[in-house]
Amino acid sequence: MRRADLNVGITTNIPMEYILKIASFVERSSAYGIWIGEYINRRYDIFSQASVVMLNAPSKTVGIGVTSPAIRNITTIARAAAALGQTAPGRFRLGIGVGGLQDLARIGTTVEKPVAMLRDASETLRNIWSGSTLNQKGKTFELRNYAGRYKLTEPIPLHFGVRGPKLLRLASRIADGVILSGPLPYIERAISIIKSAARDRSLTGEFRITVWLPTLIVGKRTKKQFAKVVAATVIADTTAEVFDLAGISEPAIEKIQRTARRRDYQAAARYVTEELLDSFTISGNPRQVCDVFHSTQKLGADEVVFGPPYGHPILEAIEEVVKTWARV
Amino acid sequence: MGARMTFGLGLNINESLIDVARKSIVAEGLGFDYVWISDSPSQLYGPIVAAVVAAKTFEIKIGLGLMSPFLHSPKQIAAAVNTLVDAYGPRFELCIGAGDRGQLEHVGIQLIRGEELTSKMVEAGEEIASILSKADCYEKIWLGAQGPMMLRIAKAFDGVLLNYSKPEMIEWAIREAGVARNFKIGAYVTSYVYSTPKPSIRKLAKGSAAVVALGASNGVLKRFGLYHKLRNARKMAEAAPIVEKILSQVPDEVMDDFSITMRISQLPMYLTQLKRLGVSHVVFGYPQNRSMQTVKELGRAISKLREM
Repeated sequence: MRRADLNVGITTNIPMEYILKIASFVERSSAYGIWIGEYINRRYDIFSQASVVMLNAPSKTVGIGVTSPAIRNITTIARAAAALGQTAPGRFRLGIGVGGLQDLARIGTTVEKPVAMLRDASETLRNIWSGSTLNQKGKTFELRNYAGRYKLTEPIPLHFGVRGPKLLRLASRIADGVILSGPLPYIERAISIIKSAARDRSLTGEFRITVWLPTLIVGKRTKKQFAKVVAATVIADTTAEVFDLAGISEPAIEKIQRTARRRDYQAAARYVTEELLDSFTISGNPRQVCDVFHSTQKLGADEVVFGPPYGHPILEAIEEVVKTWARV
Repeated sequence: MGARMTFGLGLNINESLIDVARKSIVAEGLGFDYVWISDSPSQLYGPIVAAVVAAKTFEIKIGLGLMSPFLHSPKQIAAAVNTLVDAYGPRFELCIGAGDRGQLEHVGIQLIRGEELTSKMVEAGEEIASILSKADCYEKIWLGAQGPMMLRIAKAFDGVLLNYSKPEMIEWAIREAGVARNFKIGAYVTSYVYSTPKPSIRKLAKGSAAVVALGASNGVLKRFGLYHKLRNARKMAEAAPIVEKILSQVPDEVMDDFSITMRISQLPMYLTQLKRLGVSHVVFGYPQNRSMQTVKELGRAISKLREM
């Protein structure tokens, strides 16, 4: 079995000092590439950040995983992706998704029809990139005589960062890949749904499954507390549908979500049980983390992602995992 | 004699990134103080182009804009600037403006009008400045303005960038803005400065100036007797994309009002006129950026000016 490709994950709220160091390290290492996740309305713009990463890791694959068409004009996503595609031809992937539920709630945005939104976004993006002039009155993304005045140097793979069964099936049919996050029992179910739906796939070409959970190197008990805060962050953003698929029905979940909404993730962390911690994060020493990566590979993951939050010191944790994975 | 005038080259974002980067390197070598990178809905995303330019150059300042807070939220604009500054240092300046009404309509955005528009612009500028200062980022924020209503809010920003070239129009704009003598006034204009004119590039300059004129506010056009001259062309442009047929309806003299199209020998006197009015920053836009030759011609002219 071919080993899954290991990426390093970053997000738009990580200090630039670390982003530059991580990009430089990945460039020198055996890691496949970098995925960048978006926290809405944080310090950095995901597209500009992706360009900085690409310029500092010029031989590696860089992906946005994910940005939401609910918070930007679709033409902005199209032209930003085109610019990133020109920055590093053949090495950029665009991931789109609904967006983090907590983040969307904070800005007063809800997505009523996520399946339609992602389906229409994919179609619109690909039409724009093909050089077509678009007229889409009354559709999800209204455009009138719009044509992009830029060219793609290479096709841009479109990945979905999604969770529910309908969206997973949609991804399998029309996307070039999917980025999965959620409890490990859910990951197994999600991959199974994707593979079943692949029969109806209309696209040719490889479909890539990426598994991206919060991952960190921990040793001491005190660092486990940090891992619990991270788990609380993810649990707060997880829907009932995902818990059902994972077969998880712990009473603690409602307390965690309520506390996260009313107070903060630090306070919510006290309700994270050891079982939830193991389900929602991948933590331990480098070998233990790589063993879990290996298990997701056996389920069907083509790519795995390390971090954030990595553990401390950050660069050392990343280096240890990359080296360990290379030896697995 | 006053502060030194600074010069910028507007880069053509419709070109490949490689060509844009090459021209920015040449511009830096020739002594341009700035390159400016636009952001319109049909072009490559400006902040990414700015990142590439910053990575390939050393110290030339990079102007980003015009960015519209109706196309991007103020938070998104601030985030783009923060990313660039944190990665490449305090080399950036931002220009915001409402944007081209027609282009925004193409992407599903109906631009508001009047006082509602100007209030939103002021709010956007304040929000961006606030986010940037909390992030210890103090890059200048210019307002891209043309008509009287927008000019009157200019003092809420660090400077104003005008898109016409005629000294009389610029003088009027400065009066309308009611700003203090040390307020930063800039002109970002269609340009073709040459030793020997090439007809094909002159035609491009005329076309570009015409596009700006056709999109100009009624207030500006009426004030300078251009409204009736451009009425037919503007009506045609409302119904269809701007093409040769429409541009041919635009009188040649419009080029003098909305572009810097002149021989190199005429440039010093023209810039002296602008400096006397209080203009401290001039950006030479398309089609000056069309080829390495046109960029170098202007660059050498500016270098000579500096030696004087």
